[in-house]
Amino acid sequence: MLLKVNNVEVIYNDVILVLKGVNMTMEEGSCIALLGANGAGKTTTLAAISGIIKSEDGKVTSGSIEFDGQRVDNQSVESNVARGLIHVMEGRKVLQHMTVEKNLIVGGHVLKSGAEVKQRIENVYTLIPRLAELRKRTAGYLSGGEQQMLVIGRALMANPRLILIDEPSLGLAPLMVEEVFKILKELRKSGISLFIVEQNTQAALEVADYGYVMENGRIVMDGEADQLMKNEDVREFYLGLNMEGERKSYRDVKHYKRRKRWLG
Amino acid sequence: MALQPSGVFFENYSHDKALIKTKYQWLSLAIFGIFLLLVPFLFGPRIIAVANIMIIMAVVAVGLQITTGYAGQINLGQAAFMGVGAYTAGLVATQFSLPFWISIPLGGVAAAAFGYIFGLSAVRIKGFYLALTTIAAQFIFHFAILNLPTSWFGGSNGLTLEPASLFGFEFKTDSSFYYLALIICTVMVIGAFGIVRSRYGRAFVAVRDDDVASSMMGINVVATKASAFLVGAFFAGIGGGLWAYYVRFVSVDQFTLFNSVWFVAMIIVGGSGSIVGALIGVFLIRLINELVTSIGPVVSEAFPFIGGDIVFAAMNIILGGVICLFVIYEPKGLMYRWNIMKTSYRIWPFPH
Repeated sequence: MLLKVNNVEVIYNDVILVLKGVNMTMEEGSCIALLGANGAGKTTTLAAISGIIKSEDGKVTSGSIEFDGQRVDNQSVESNVARGLIHVMEGRKVLQHMTVEKNLIVGGHVLKSGAEVKQRIENVYTLIPRLAELRKRTAGYLSGGEQQMLVIGRALMANPRLILIDEPSLGLAPLMVEEVFKILKELRKSGISLFIVEQNTQAALEVADYGYVMENGRIVMDGEADQLMKNEDVREFYLGLNMEGERKSYRDVKHYKRRKRWLG
Repeated sequence: MALQPSGVFFENYSHDKALIKTKYQWLSLAIFGIFLLLVPFLFGPRIIAVANIMIIMAVVAVGLQITTGYAGQINLGQAAFMGVGAYTAGLVATQFSLPFWISIPLGGVAAAAFGYIFGLSAVRIKGFYLALTTIAAQFIFHFAILNLPTSWFGGSNGLTLEPASLFGFEFKTDSSFYYLALIICTVMVIGAFGIVRSRYGRAFVAVRDDDVASSMMGINVVATKASAFLVGAFFAGIGGGLWAYYVRFVSVDQFTLFNSVWFVAMIIVGGSGSIVGALIGVFLIRLINELVTSIGPVVSEAFPFIGGDIVFAAMNIILGGVICLFVIYEPKGLMYRWNIMKTSYRIWPFPH
């Protein structure tokens, strides 16, 4: 078991309860997708696992998170990175004044030797050839898709075992989304475990082999990715497809009977 | 902005990484170096004195550039750190009669320790709040010196030092001290380049650009911010030690909040995030400062009806105005403009 999230509860600023007992497990080398509406607590789940929740005044108040058998909840982010648990944050946080290559070098901050850094940079370039073309360009001037590739490449520098990716398709053109997900598929092939948080349910479930659906700080549904794709609730609420598999028209919305039963 | 002159290609990593990349850069550096060495022969004593002050300030401003320009931690207490260095160097030199090559580094170490304590506050606060905390450094320094027993730091009387000496040679005159200061400054500037190009320097810039994202890369943000203050204060302490040996008199009035603001002004004018920018800023601000103070008396003599007081007040206003103009029209500093000019020259005749 690579990652085990056990009944985790997260409270922000000591007063706002965001996660209300989240459970999930993940095998080494697998890929899971975490889906859900805005404000469901997806990003908070990721932040709790990687530890950056601390910088947002949040705390894991009960339950446990285990990575490779070790407790990682409420640990420092740096120590988690050293364990190989890397978080790629939403919004493409490149270091904008540095060149692409410098960004990658900083990504390899935990590596001990310069030779290792060079070797990993070459690795990243073979995996994401676009970055090799851009290596001397200032990161802040890249397009959104290129920046997204850069942050994924930067995460690869730190010798990751599990990459947590938050909304890789945020604000990207459909073609770019395809490109980014192609890279994620490549990563899977190379044996790195992926944990994807996405609004783009279709794209995420295509890469993932297991999916979780979140709502109001709880996991409300989970299952194999292809099962979820066929699930009628998922199709209705997250894929925007009705039972016939056609895109809804406004008329259908008016007659729409299905509701989120899990909200009680 | 990473454009190289046409025809310059790199065939290996070491050439690509080199700081000085072309023959002409070596040539101009050599000419500049020779010019610096000849300053005491070319100019009169007044200019040499100005040059000495500039060199000392340069060490301090380069330190501030690392803390503020590279690591992004606003520091309005650089003069206090410099003062700690000056007092420590002065104290060990007078009480234990240690030679300058021990007392100046000791000043640096003491200032670094003092700076580190304030750097730790940067862990929790950012921006304006951090600036306020570093102003506190300024006042703590002031209070401590004035209220501690006079036998320690001389209280309001200050400390008086013997000139620095090496193998019996005393750096008494301005021109002899010039070479001493130039050597120390060169070492410090080379050291600064080394720091900002190392993994620690990259960590500084990463923390400046985005501290949460940089923690996601395994950078220890707390340690990085505190060490940015440590390094910056060390430079200030070395500068303070030099100051103590140059002026041979140390008192709290030499290291006020006003001076700290000047240091910040220097790196803004020069361009934050560039070591050379800090040097240019020091040169420019001190030059304007000197011009204003030397033009003042001339003006009040030529036009006696204006009255001396008004002229001197006006000069300060002009000096402040220059800073305002810079912040409004060139907030990224001269180095930024220079880089744009260089790039547009290199891509000429194309506009972009």
